[in-house]
Amino acid sequence: MAPDMDLRARFDAELAAAGLNITGRDYDLLFLMWKEHLPQREALRAAAPAQEDEPWR
Amino acid sequence: MAVSASWVCDLDLRGVSEALAAGKVSSVDVTEAYLDRIARHDGVLRSYITVMGEAARARARAADAEQSAGRRRGHLHGVPIALKDLIAVAGVRMTGGSEMLADHIPARDAFVTERLHAAGAVILGKLTMHEFAFGRPAVDGPFPTGRNPWDVRRAPAGSSSGSGVAAAAGLCAGALGSDTGGSIRGPAAMCGLVGHKPTYGLVSRGGVLAMDWSLDHVGPMTRSVWDSAVLLQAIAGHDPADTSSLAAPVPDYLAHLEDGARGLKLGLLRRFYVDWPGLDAEVRAAALAAFDVLTREGATVQDVDAPILDLTGAIWTCFLAEMYEYHREMARRAPEKYREGTRVRLYMGALVSAQDFLRAQRLRMRFKREIDALLGTVDVLVFPGQAGPAQRFEDISSLEVMAPGSRYTSPWNLLGLPAVSVPAGFTRAGLPVSIQIVGRMGDDATVLRVARAYERATDWHKRRPDPAGWKLG
Repeated sequence: MAPDMDLRARFDAELAAAGLNITGRDYDLLFLMWKEHLPQREALRAAAPAQEDEPWR
Repeated sequence: MAVSASWVCDLDLRGVSEALAAGKVSSVDVTEAYLDRIARHDGVLRSYITVMGEAARARARAADAEQSAGRRRGHLHGVPIALKDLIAVAGVRMTGGSEMLADHIPARDAFVTERLHAAGAVILGKLTMHEFAFGRPAVDGPFPTGRNPWDVRRAPAGSSSGSGVAAAAGLCAGALGSDTGGSIRGPAAMCGLVGHKPTYGLVSRGGVLAMDWSLDHVGPMTRSVWDSAVLLQAIAGHDPADTSSLAAPVPDYLAHLEDGARGLKLGLLRRFYVDWPGLDAEVRAAALAAFDVLTREGATVQDVDAPILDLTGAIWTCFLAEMYEYHREMARRAPEKYREGTRVRLYMGALVSAQDFLRAQRLRMRFKREIDALLGTVDVLVFPGQAGPAQRFEDISSLEVMAPGSRYTSPWNLLGLPAVSVPAGFTRAGLPVSIQIVGRMGDDATVLRVARAYERATDWHKRRPDPAGWKLG
Protein backbone atom coordinates (compact mmCIF):
# COMPACT_ATOMS: atom_id res chain seq x y z
CA MET A 1 0.00 0.00 0.00
CA ALA A 2 1.11 3.58 -0.56
CA PRO A 3 2.07 5.42 2.64
CA ASP A 4 -1.08 7.52 2.61
CA MET A 5 -3.18 4.39 2.16
CA ASP A 6 -1.40 2.89 5.14
CA LEU A 7 -2.28 5.94 7.14
CA ARG A 8 -5.89 5.80 5.96
CA ALA A 9 -6.17 2.19 7.02
CA ARG A 10 -4.66 3.00 10.41
CA PHE A 11 -6.96 5.97 10.84
CA ASP A 12 -10.03 3.95 9.90
CA ALA A 13 -9.02 1.26 12.38
CA GLU A 14 -8.73 3.86 15.14
CA LEU A 15 -12.12 5.34 14.25
CA ALA A 16 -13.66 1.88 14.41
CA ALA A 17 -11.99 1.13 17.75
CA ALA A 18 -13.37 4.39 19.11
CA GLY A 19 -16.83 3.59 17.81
CA LEU A 20 -16.92 6.73 15.71
CA ASN A 21 -18.93 6.71 12.52
CA ILE A 22 -17.84 9.85 10.72
CA THR A 23 -18.21 10.65 7.06
CA GLY A 24 -17.87 13.49 4.57
CA ARG A 25 -16.11 16.72 5.48
CA ASP A 26 -15.79 15.81 9.17
CA TYR A 27 -13.94 12.63 8.17
CA ASP A 28 -11.58 14.53 5.88
CA LEU A 29 -10.84 17.25 8.44
CA LEU A 30 -10.33 14.75 11.24
CA PHE A 31 -7.96 12.72 9.09
CA LEU A 32 -5.88 15.81 8.33
CA MET A 33 -5.80 16.79 12.00
CA TRP A 34 -4.94 13.25 13.08
CA LYS A 35 -2.17 13.04 10.48
CA GLU A 36 -0.76 16.42 11.52
CA HIS A 37 -0.71 15.25 15.12
CA LEU A 38 0.99 11.89 14.51
CA PRO A 39 4.57 13.08 15.16
CA GLN A 40 3.55 14.28 18.63
CA ARG A 41 1.88 11.00 19.37
CA GLU A 42 4.90 9.07 18.19
CA ALA A 43 7.10 11.21 20.44
CA LEU A 44 4.86 10.42 23.38
CA ARG A 45 5.06 6.70 22.68
CA ALA A 46 8.83 6.85 22.23
CA ALA A 47 9.38 8.51 25.58
CA ALA A 48 10.22 5.98 28.26
CA PRO A 49 9.04 6.99 31.71
CA ALA A 50 11.17 6.03 34.68
CA GLN A 51 10.01 3.24 36.98
CA GLU A 52 9.17 5.82 39.65
CA ASP A 53 6.97 7.77 37.24
CA GLU A 54 3.65 6.35 38.34
CA PRO A 55 0.53 7.77 36.67
CA TRP A 56 -0.50 11.21 37.91
CA ARG A 57 -3.29 11.21 40.45
CA MET B 1 -28.18 61.13 27.72
CA ALA B 2 -24.62 61.39 28.98
CA VAL B 3 -23.74 59.18 31.92
CA SER B 4 -22.11 61.26 34.64
CA ALA B 5 -19.70 58.57 35.86
CA SER B 6 -18.36 57.48 32.47
CA TRP B 7 -14.83 58.35 33.66
CA VAL B 8 -14.81 55.23 35.85
CA CYS B 9 -14.54 53.02 32.77
CA ASP B 10 -10.93 54.13 32.32
CA LEU B 11 -10.02 53.15 35.86
CA ASP B 12 -8.74 49.81 37.01
CA LEU B 13 -10.73 47.84 39.56
CA ARG B 14 -8.77 49.44 42.39
CA GLY B 15 -9.65 52.90 41.11
CA VAL B 16 -13.33 52.01 40.94
CA SER B 17 -13.22 50.46 44.40
CA GLU B 18 -11.50 53.49 45.92
CA ALA B 19 -13.91 55.92 44.25
CA LEU B 20 -16.81 53.94 45.70
CA ALA B 21 -15.24 53.71 49.15
CA ALA B 22 -14.58 57.46 49.18
CA GLY B 23 -18.18 58.17 48.19
CA LYS B 24 -17.08 59.97 45.01
CA VAL B 25 -19.51 57.85 43.04
CA SER B 26 -22.26 55.36 43.81
CA SER B 27 -22.46 51.75 42.70
CA VAL B 28 -25.59 52.66 40.73
CA ASP B 29 -23.65 55.39 38.90
CA VAL B 30 -20.75 53.05 38.18
CA THR B 31 -23.07 50.29 37.00
CA GLU B 32 -24.92 52.69 34.71
CA ALA B 33 -21.60 53.89 33.29
CA TYR B 34 -20.58 50.36 32.33
CA LEU B 35 -24.03 49.51 30.97
CA ASP B 36 -23.93 52.66 28.84
CA ARG B 37 -20.46 51.80 27.54
CA ILE B 38 -21.60 48.26 26.74
CA ALA B 39 -24.60 49.65 24.84
CA ARG B 40 -22.37 52.02 22.86
CA HIS B 41 -19.47 49.71 22.02
CA ASP B 42 -20.34 46.06 22.40
CA GLY B 43 -22.09 45.92 19.04
CA VAL B 44 -18.57 45.92 17.59
CA LEU B 45 -16.54 44.35 20.40
CA ARG B 46 -19.06 41.55 21.07
CA SER B 47 -17.81 40.71 24.54
CA TYR B 48 -21.18 39.99 26.18
CA ILE B 49 -23.61 37.17 25.50
CA THR B 50 -26.00 38.30 28.24
CA VAL B 51 -26.10 41.74 29.85
CA MET B 52 -27.82 41.47 33.23
CA GLY B 53 -28.95 45.10 33.32
CA GLU B 54 -31.85 44.98 35.77
CA ALA B 55 -30.25 42.43 38.09
CA ALA B 56 -27.06 44.51 38.14
CA ARG B 57 -28.97 47.70 38.95
CA ALA B 58 -30.75 45.93 41.81
CA ARG B 59 -27.45 44.67 43.24
CA ALA B 60 -25.93 48.13 42.86
CA ARG B 61 -28.85 49.75 44.71
CA ALA B 62 -28.47 47.21 47.50
CA ALA B 63 -24.71 47.87 47.69
CA ASP B 64 -25.33 51.63 47.92
CA ALA B 65 -27.95 51.13 50.61
CA GLU B 66 -25.56 49.02 52.65
CA GLN B 67 -22.78 51.55 52.34
CA SER B 68 -25.15 54.35 53.34
CA ALA B 69 -25.98 52.30 56.42
CA GLY B 70 -22.30 52.12 57.29
CA ARG B 71 -21.57 48.63 56.05
CA ARG B 72 -18.95 48.15 53.35
CA ARG B 73 -18.08 44.51 52.73
CA GLY B 74 -14.62 45.04 51.28
CA HIS B 75 -12.78 46.05 48.13
CA LEU B 76 -15.38 44.55 45.79
CA HIS B 77 -18.37 46.25 47.42
CA GLY B 78 -20.48 47.70 44.61
CA VAL B 79 -17.87 46.92 41.94
CA PRO B 80 -19.23 45.62 38.59
CA ILE B 81 -17.68 42.31 37.53
CA ALA B 82 -18.50 40.11 34.54
CA LEU B 83 -18.24 36.33 34.16
CA LYS B 84 -17.25 34.02 31.34
CA ASP B 85 -20.42 32.33 30.13
CA LEU B 86 -19.53 28.98 31.64
CA ILE B 87 -19.83 30.23 35.22
CA ALA B 88 -23.36 29.79 36.54
CA VAL B 89 -25.56 32.59 37.77
CA ALA B 90 -28.89 31.26 39.01
CA GLY B 91 -31.73 32.02 36.62
CA VAL B 92 -29.48 33.49 33.93
CA ARG B 93 -28.87 31.68 30.65
CA MET B 94 -25.44 29.98 30.49
CA THR B 95 -24.47 28.95 26.99
CA GLY B 96 -20.82 27.90 27.14
CA GLY B 97 -20.63 29.77 23.85
CA SER B 98 -22.51 26.96 22.17
CA GLU B 99 -25.82 26.55 20.41
CA MET B 100 -26.00 23.25 22.26
CA LEU B 101 -26.76 25.13 25.49
CA ALA B 102 -28.56 28.11 23.99
CA ASP B 103 -31.55 27.61 26.30
CA HIS B 104 -29.74 26.33 29.38
CA ILE B 105 -30.64 28.20 32.57
CA PRO B 106 -28.84 27.00 35.71
CA ALA B 107 -30.85 26.87 38.92
CA ARG B 108 -27.92 27.63 41.22
CA ASP B 109 -25.04 30.04 41.39
CA ALA B 110 -21.53 28.72 40.88
CA PHE B 111 -19.36 28.74 44.00
CA VAL B 112 -17.41 31.73 42.67
CA THR B 113 -20.63 33.60 41.89
CA GLU B 114 -21.79 33.09 45.47
CA ARG B 115 -18.44 34.37 46.68
CA LEU B 116 -18.63 37.48 44.52
CA HIS B 117 -22.15 38.21 45.71
CA ALA B 118 -21.01 37.75 49.30
CA ALA B 119 -18.20 40.23 48.67
CA GLY B 120 -20.76 42.78 47.48
CA ALA B 121 -19.80 42.68 43.81
CA VAL B 122 -22.33 43.53 41.10
CA ILE B 123 -22.50 40.90 38.35
CA LEU B 124 -22.90 42.82 35.10
CA GLY B 125 -23.34 39.92 32.73
CA LYS B 126 -22.04 36.84 30.98
CA LEU B 127 -19.14 37.06 28.56
CA THR B 128 -18.43 35.50 25.20
CA MET B 129 -16.06 32.58 24.87
CA HIS B 130 -14.85 30.00 22.43
CA GLU B 131 -17.38 27.21 22.16
CA PHE B 132 -17.16 25.00 25.26
CA ALA B 133 -13.81 26.66 26.04
CA PHE B 134 -12.22 24.77 23.15
CA GLY B 135 -13.67 26.04 19.87
CA ARG B 136 -12.07 28.51 17.53
CA PRO B 137 -12.53 32.29 17.26
CA ALA B 138 -15.74 33.20 15.45
CA VAL B 139 -17.17 36.44 14.12
CA ASP B 140 -20.44 34.84 12.98
CA GLY B 141 -23.17 32.59 14.33
CA PRO B 142 -25.25 33.02 17.49
CA PHE B 143 -22.22 33.46 19.76
CA PRO B 144 -19.35 35.37 18.14
CA THR B 145 -16.26 35.33 20.32
CA GLY B 146 -15.36 39.01 20.47
CA ARG B 147 -12.91 41.43 18.87
CA ASN B 148 -9.62 42.66 20.27
CA PRO B 149 -10.03 46.25 21.54
CA TRP B 150 -6.46 47.09 20.49
CA ASP B 151 -7.30 46.21 16.88
CA VAL B 152 -10.82 45.00 16.13
CA ARG B 153 -9.61 43.15 13.04
CA ARG B 154 -7.77 40.80 15.37
CA ALA B 155 -8.92 38.10 17.76
CA PRO B 156 -8.51 38.54 21.51
CA ALA B 157 -7.44 34.87 21.80
CA GLY B 158 -9.42 32.51 23.94
CA SER B 159 -11.16 30.77 25.22
CA SER B 160 -12.00 33.51 27.75
CA SER B 161 -12.20 35.94 24.86
CA GLY B 162 -15.06 38.07 26.15
CA SER B 163 -13.41 38.35 29.57
CA GLY B 164 -10.29 39.73 27.90
CA VAL B 165 -12.20 42.13 25.68
CA ALA B 166 -14.57 43.45 28.36
CA ALA B 167 -11.91 44.01 31.01
CA ALA B 168 -9.48 45.65 28.57
CA ALA B 169 -12.14 47.85 26.96
CA GLY B 170 -13.59 49.05 30.25
CA LEU B 171 -16.90 47.25 29.85
CA CYS B 172 -16.53 45.93 33.42
CA ALA B 173 -14.11 46.59 36.27
CA GLY B 174 -12.75 43.05 36.16
CA ALA B 175 -13.71 39.64 34.87
CA LEU B 176 -13.44 35.96 35.64
CA GLY B 177 -12.29 33.48 33.04
CA SER B 178 -11.29 29.85 33.01
CA ASP B 179 -8.03 28.27 31.89
CA THR B 180 -7.49 24.68 30.72
CA GLY B 181 -4.58 25.25 28.35
CA GLY B 182 -4.13 29.01 28.50
CA SER B 183 -7.64 30.40 28.27
CA ILE B 184 -7.08 33.08 30.92
CA ARG B 185 -3.45 33.89 30.20
CA GLY B 186 -3.79 33.90 26.40
CA PRO B 187 -6.51 36.54 26.13
CA ALA B 188 -4.94 38.51 28.99
CA ALA B 189 -1.68 38.62 27.03
CA MET B 190 -3.39 39.61 23.79
CA CYS B 191 -5.56 42.27 25.42
CA GLY B 192 -2.98 43.88 27.73
CA LEU B 193 -4.32 42.51 31.00
CA VAL B 194 -3.15 40.68 34.06
CA GLY B 195 -4.45 37.10 33.85
CA HIS B 196 -4.06 34.74 36.78
CA LYS B 197 -4.46 31.00 36.57
CA PRO B 198 -4.46 30.14 40.27
CA THR B 199 -3.13 26.99 41.86
CA TYR B 200 -5.33 24.04 40.87
CA GLY B 201 -7.97 23.51 43.54
CA LEU B 202 -7.58 26.95 45.10
CA VAL B 203 -10.70 28.19 43.30
CA SER B 204 -13.69 25.89 43.11
CA ARG B 205 -14.94 24.56 39.79
CA GLY B 206 -18.39 24.08 41.30
CA GLY B 207 -21.06 25.40 38.94
CA VAL B 208 -18.54 25.91 36.13
CA LEU B 209 -18.89 23.97 32.86
CA ALA B 210 -16.07 21.47 32.58
CA MET B 211 -13.66 21.08 29.71
CA ASP B 212 -10.96 18.84 31.22
CA TRP B 213 -11.61 18.10 34.88
CA SER B 214 -7.97 17.76 35.84
CA LEU B 215 -6.80 20.86 33.96
CA ASP B 216 -9.61 23.41 34.51
CA HIS B 217 -8.90 26.51 36.58
CA VAL B 218 -11.07 29.59 37.27
CA GLY B 219 -9.33 32.93 37.80
CA PRO B 220 -9.25 36.71 37.42
CA MET B 221 -8.57 38.88 34.37
CA THR B 222 -7.99 42.49 35.27
CA ARG B 223 -6.14 45.72 34.48
CA SER B 224 -3.71 45.44 37.38
CA VAL B 225 -2.09 42.92 39.72
CA TRP B 226 -3.82 44.41 42.78
CA ASP B 227 -7.15 43.89 41.03
CA SER B 228 -6.37 40.23 40.42
CA ALA B 229 -5.22 39.72 43.99
CA VAL B 230 -8.47 41.18 45.32
CA LEU B 231 -10.62 39.08 43.00
CA LEU B 232 -8.65 35.96 43.89
CA GLN B 233 -9.09 36.70 47.58
CA ALA B 234 -12.85 36.77 47.07
CA ILE B 235 -13.18 33.56 45.08
CA ALA B 236 -10.50 31.34 46.68
CA GLY B 237 -11.47 28.85 49.33
CA HIS B 238 -12.63 25.36 50.06
CA ASP B 239 -15.76 24.01 48.41
CA PRO B 240 -16.80 20.58 49.68
CA ALA B 241 -18.82 20.09 46.50
CA ASP B 242 -15.67 20.19 44.34
CA THR B 243 -13.58 17.04 44.80
CA SER B 244 -10.41 18.88 43.75
CA SER B 245 -10.93 21.83 46.08
CA LEU B 246 -8.06 22.48 48.51
CA ALA B 247 -8.85 22.64 52.19
CA ALA B 248 -5.79 24.71 53.14
CA PRO B 249 -6.34 28.19 54.60
CA VAL B 250 -6.32 31.01 52.05
CA PRO B 251 -3.55 33.56 52.72
CA ASP B 252 -3.95 37.33 52.48
CA TYR B 253 -2.91 38.07 48.89
CA LEU B 254 -2.44 41.77 49.55
CA ALA B 255 -0.19 41.29 52.60
CA HIS B 256 3.08 40.89 50.65
CA LEU B 257 2.03 42.30 47.29
CA GLU B 258 4.27 45.36 47.65
CA ASP B 259 7.30 43.50 49.02
CA GLY B 260 9.13 43.86 45.72
CA ALA B 261 11.49 41.53 43.87
CA ARG B 262 14.63 42.13 45.94
CA GLY B 263 16.25 38.86 46.93
CA LEU B 264 14.03 36.67 44.80
CA LYS B 265 15.51 34.13 42.38
CA LEU B 266 13.88 33.91 38.97
CA GLY B 267 14.49 30.91 36.71
CA LEU B 268 14.31 31.79 33.03
CA LEU B 269 13.24 28.87 30.82
CA ARG B 270 15.39 30.16 28.00
CA ARG B 271 15.85 27.09 25.79
CA PHE B 272 12.20 26.09 25.54
CA TYR B 273 10.68 29.56 25.44
CA VAL B 274 13.11 32.36 24.55
CA ASP B 275 15.11 30.39 21.99
CA TRP B 276 12.07 28.79 20.33
CA PRO B 277 12.20 29.80 16.63
CA GLY B 278 8.46 30.41 16.58
CA LEU B 279 8.69 33.24 19.10
CA ASP B 280 7.95 36.67 17.66
CA ALA B 281 11.03 38.90 17.74
CA GLU B 282 9.22 41.84 19.33
CA VAL B 283 7.76 39.64 22.06
CA ARG B 284 11.22 38.19 22.71
CA ALA B 285 12.80 41.64 22.99
CA ALA B 286 10.05 42.93 25.27
CA ALA B 287 10.28 39.89 27.55
CA LEU B 288 14.07 40.08 27.87
CA ALA B 289 13.75 43.79 28.66
CA ALA B 290 11.17 42.91 31.31
CA PHE B 291 13.54 40.45 32.98
CA ASP B 292 16.19 43.20 33.02
CA VAL B 293 13.68 45.40 34.82
CA LEU B 294 13.17 42.72 37.44
CA THR B 295 16.94 42.41 37.81
CA ARG B 296 17.15 46.15 38.45
CA GLU B 297 14.40 45.70 41.02
CA GLY B 298 16.71 43.38 42.94
CA ALA B 299 15.86 39.92 41.65
CA THR B 300 18.46 37.56 40.24
CA VAL B 301 17.67 35.83 36.96
CA GLN B 302 19.33 32.56 35.99
CA ASP B 303 18.72 30.25 33.04
CA VAL B 304 17.07 26.95 33.89
CA ASP B 305 15.70 24.08 31.84
CA ALA B 306 13.45 21.05 32.04
CA PRO B 307 14.03 18.68 29.10
CA ILE B 308 10.57 17.17 29.32
CA LEU B 309 9.01 20.47 28.30
CA ASP B 310 9.48 19.22 24.73
CA LEU B 311 6.86 16.56 25.37
CA THR B 312 4.28 18.68 27.13
CA GLY B 313 2.27 19.40 23.97
CA ALA B 314 1.87 15.69 23.33
CA ILE B 315 1.02 15.06 26.98
CA TRP B 316 -1.57 17.84 27.08
CA THR B 317 -3.27 16.62 23.93
CA CYS B 318 -4.03 13.26 25.53
CA PHE B 319 -6.34 15.11 27.86
CA LEU B 320 -8.67 15.72 24.97
CA ALA B 321 -9.91 12.32 26.07
CA GLU B 322 -11.35 13.97 29.19
CA MET B 323 -13.11 16.53 27.04
CA TYR B 324 -14.52 13.88 24.73
CA GLU B 325 -15.77 11.89 27.70
CA TYR B 326 -17.61 14.97 28.98
CA HIS B 327 -19.20 15.59 25.58
CA ARG B 328 -19.62 12.02 24.36
CA GLU B 329 -23.39 11.74 24.69
CA MET B 330 -24.11 15.24 23.38
CA ALA B 331 -21.71 14.78 20.48
CA ARG B 332 -23.42 11.56 19.43
CA ARG B 333 -26.95 12.89 19.93
CA ALA B 334 -26.62 16.21 18.12
CA PRO B 335 -23.20 16.65 16.49
CA GLU B 336 -24.58 19.33 14.18
CA LYS B 337 -25.04 21.67 17.12
CA TYR B 338 -21.28 22.04 17.54
CA ARG B 339 -19.31 24.33 15.30
CA GLU B 340 -17.27 22.32 12.83
CA GLY B 341 -13.89 23.22 14.37
CA THR B 342 -15.05 22.23 17.84
CA ARG B 343 -16.68 19.00 16.71
CA VAL B 344 -13.69 17.72 14.79
CA ARG B 345 -11.30 18.55 17.60
CA LEU B 346 -13.64 16.80 20.04
CA TYR B 347 -13.36 13.67 17.95
CA MET B 348 -9.60 13.79 18.40
CA GLY B 349 -10.27 13.06 22.06
CA ALA B 350 -12.04 9.85 21.11
CA LEU B 351 -8.89 8.67 19.35
CA VAL B 352 -6.70 8.79 22.46
CA SER B 353 -6.06 5.20 23.51
CA ALA B 354 -5.94 4.04 27.12
CA GLN B 355 -2.25 3.24 26.66
CA ASP B 356 -1.48 6.74 25.42
CA PHE B 357 -3.50 8.31 28.22
CA LEU B 358 -1.58 6.34 30.84
CA ARG B 359 1.71 7.19 29.18
CA ALA B 360 0.74 10.84 29.33
CA GLN B 361 -0.13 10.52 33.02
CA ARG B 362 3.25 8.96 33.77
CA LEU B 363 5.12 11.63 31.81
CA ARG B 364 3.04 14.24 33.58
CA MET B 365 4.56 12.89 36.80
CA ARG B 366 8.05 13.14 35.33
CA PHE B 367 7.29 16.72 34.35
CA LYS B 368 6.29 17.39 37.95
CA ARG B 369 9.57 15.93 39.21
CA GLU B 370 11.65 18.06 36.86
CA ILE B 371 9.79 21.27 37.66
CA ASP B 372 9.72 20.58 41.41
CA ALA B 373 13.49 20.24 41.23
CA LEU B 374 13.79 23.61 39.48
CA LEU B 375 11.47 25.28 41.94
CA GLY B 376 13.69 23.97 44.70
CA THR B 377 16.45 26.25 43.40
CA VAL B 378 14.48 29.34 42.29
CA ASP B 379 11.39 31.12 43.64
CA VAL B 380 9.51 31.37 40.35
CA LEU B 381 9.93 30.54 36.68
CA VAL B 382 9.69 33.32 34.10
CA PHE B 383 9.40 33.43 30.31
CA PRO B 384 7.62 35.33 27.54
CA GLY B 385 3.87 35.23 27.95
CA GLN B 386 2.92 34.39 24.38
CA ALA B 387 4.38 33.28 21.05
CA GLY B 388 3.28 36.38 19.19
CA PRO B 389 0.84 39.29 19.28
CA ALA B 390 -2.88 39.06 18.51
CA GLN B 391 -3.65 37.47 15.16
CA ARG B 392 -6.01 38.62 12.44
CA PHE B 393 -9.10 36.42 12.30
CA GLU B 394 -8.32 35.24 8.78
CA ASP B 395 -4.86 34.02 9.80
CA ILE B 396 -6.10 31.63 12.48
CA SER B 397 -6.13 27.96 11.50
CA SER B 398 -9.07 25.79 12.47
CA LEU B 399 -7.24 22.57 11.70
CA GLU B 400 -4.75 22.47 14.54
CA VAL B 401 -5.40 20.35 17.60
CA MET B 402 -3.53 22.99 19.57
CA ALA B 403 -1.91 26.13 18.21
CA PRO B 404 1.92 25.97 18.39
CA GLY B 405 1.88 29.02 20.65
CA SER B 406 0.00 27.08 23.31
CA ARG B 407 3.43 25.84 24.47
CA TYR B 408 3.59 29.10 26.45
CA THR B 409 0.57 28.23 28.55
CA SER B 410 -0.69 24.65 28.39
CA PRO B 411 2.22 22.89 30.21
CA TRP B 412 1.37 24.73 33.40
CA ASN B 413 -2.17 23.39 33.50
CA LEU B 414 -0.73 19.89 33.67
CA LEU B 415 0.93 20.68 36.99
CA GLY B 416 -1.69 23.01 38.44
CA LEU B 417 0.94 25.59 39.33
CA PRO B 418 -0.02 29.25 39.77
CA ALA B 419 0.75 31.27 36.64
CA VAL B 420 0.26 34.96 35.93
CA SER B 421 0.47 36.80 32.62
CA VAL B 422 1.54 40.45 33.03
CA PRO B 423 1.58 43.25 30.41
CA ALA B 424 5.16 43.89 29.29
CA GLY B 425 4.91 46.33 26.42
CA PHE B 426 3.55 46.78 22.94
CA THR B 427 4.65 45.89 19.44
CA ARG B 428 5.34 48.62 16.89
CA ALA B 429 1.80 47.99 15.64
CA GLY B 430 0.44 48.79 19.10
CA LEU B 431 -0.44 45.26 20.15
CA PRO B 432 0.10 44.13 23.76
CA VAL B 433 2.84 41.70 24.76
CA SER B 434 3.39 40.02 28.09
CA ILE B 435 5.60 37.98 30.36
CA GLN B 436 4.52 35.01 32.42
CA ILE B 437 5.47 34.06 35.96
CA VAL B 438 4.94 30.53 37.32
CA GLY B 439 5.30 29.64 40.99
CA ARG B 440 5.28 26.74 43.39
CA MET B 441 2.07 24.89 44.14
CA GLY B 442 -0.01 27.06 46.45
CA ASP B 443 2.38 30.00 46.27
CA ASP B 444 0.13 32.35 44.32
CA ALA B 445 1.24 35.15 46.65
CA THR B 446 4.85 35.08 45.39
CA VAL B 447 3.73 34.96 41.77
CA LEU B 448 1.57 38.03 42.36
CA ARG B 449 4.41 39.73 44.26
CA VAL B 450 6.82 39.33 41.34
CA ALA B 451 4.12 40.46 38.90
CA ARG B 452 3.47 43.55 41.01
CA ALA B 453 7.18 44.31 41.35
CA TYR B 454 7.42 44.41 37.56
CA GLU B 455 4.16 46.29 37.15
CA ARG B 456 5.08 49.11 39.51
CA ALA B 457 8.39 49.62 37.72
CA THR B 458 6.61 50.08 34.39
CA ASP B 459 3.48 51.77 33.08
CA TRP B 460 2.25 49.33 30.43
CA HIS B 461 -0.79 48.49 32.53
CA LYS B 462 -1.94 52.11 32.50
CA ARG B 463 -2.43 52.27 28.75
CA ARG B 464 -5.96 51.92 27.38
CA PRO B 465 -7.20 50.98 23.91
CA ASP B 466 -8.78 53.90 22.04
CA PRO B 467 -12.57 53.60 21.57
CA ALA B 468 -12.21 55.63 18.37
CA GLY B 469 -10.88 52.45 16.77
CA TRP B 470 -13.88 50.35 17.73
CA LYS B 471 -15.61 50.35 14.38
CA LEU B 472 -15.76 47.96 11.47
CA GLY B 473 -15.00 48.61 7.82
